[in-house]
Amino acid sequence: MSRKQWMDNAFWETEEKKELNCILELEDDVGRVTRQQMLLHRHDKDGTENELFNEVIDAVGTDSIDKCTEDRITHKKAKIEEDKLRDEEHTKARKLEKLFNYKMEAFEVGEIKDSKNRKLKAKLRRAKSRIEVDLYSIMILQEQLEAVADGKD
Amino acid sequence: MEKTKGFVIVSSKKRNFYLYSLNLAESIRDYYEPEEECKICIVTEEQFLDDRGREVADDIIICDDHYRAKLWGMSKSPYDLTMYIDADMECEHEDITKVWDEMKDHDVVFSALTDDRDYIYAERDFSTPEGMSKFTLCGGVCLYDMSKPIVREFMDDWWDLTFRQMNDTWWPEGYADSLKSWDQFSLWWLTNKEEKYKDLKVGIFDDDLRWNYYNALNWAITQPETGPVILRHFSAGLNKDTPIV
Repeated sequence: MSRKQWMDNAFWETEEKKELNCILELEDDVGRVTRQQMLLHRHDKDGTENELFNEVIDAVGTDSIDKCTEDRITHKKAKIEEDKLRDEEHTKARKLEKLFNYKMEAFEVGEIKDSKNRKLKAKLRRAKSRIEVDLYSIMILQEQLEAVADGKD
Repeated sequence: MEKTKGFVIVSSKKRNFYLYSLNLAESIRDYYEPEEECKICIVTEEQFLDDRGREVADDIIICDDHYRAKLWGMSKSPYDLTMYIDADMECEHEDITKVWDEMKDHDVVFSALTDDRDYIYAERDFSTPEGMSKFTLCGGVCLYDMSKPIVREFMDDWWDLTFRQMNDTWWPEGYADSLKSWDQFSLWWLTNKEEKYKDLKVGIFDDDLRWNYYNALNWAITQPETGPVILRHFSAGLNKDTPIV
């Protein structure tokens, strides 16, 4: 036995409620089910009322369509917010990785490698930006050069 | 007699890991109070060891270049209470000093691999002859009590089983070959299938993300709840194959 049913997740495409997005589920005589997504306009091009549009309104109900539309908007907003947060965190993580690699390079500079100044090296390790890494690297370098000049090294 | 305490860091195969291990060791010393009580053992290959390693470490153990020398190194810890940390991590908080409190009455403590973190692993769920199972323990950090004979045996077995699964001299029937490359599997096997370890007390760090925070893969999905990150895990985000200099 064939069956035709409008699914209850229809929602308005526009605030004016002139376009409706909905799904029609059809079952044929041998039980095969197909679903068809439709975008229906309230009025046809000649201005007459769209019968199919009215059929969905009758079957699903305006309240249900309003609620689905609201839920959809809320969900979309939350998704955008979540994606934004993820992107920010991802960018932060990538930045930290790059900074970590940069510090590793700094620690391989001969003078920094040989430096015994643990305080300055700790500051370099804790640096939050490349410029900070550069500054502490220069300080260590300077100290090493001065030590050489003073004959300490 | 009071139990000795110390950190174990293993770096094999690639020089970058050795450089990461130096950085990790120094970062632990940066935060540990009092610093003179901070004991560190670096397990590495002879070819990588230099003066910096000898200076920062209290103990040095030479290993070979096995892909999972980590487990061999863990089993050779010279300390009773041992905190193993993956070399590509960095300490960034003074609570590192409190790590020993996490031992509680456990034998071995890990960070957890929960459902909401399974994006960290490429292969987590797997089929067994008894049905589906999954890895639940993450070995990036591991706190264990080597003064207990059962723990020493467990560490030896973990290494031994991993070695044998990787060189094809041990593998149980009914498990996918793709699991052979994971030391997670040998860990799962020992803690789930091995009768002698059924009473081994395996614990999870409190707010474990603080102790093993995956930097690159964290996309605001998971955050520590009780305080800042103590140990940050750079893991996949680092280019380990390209020499640093």
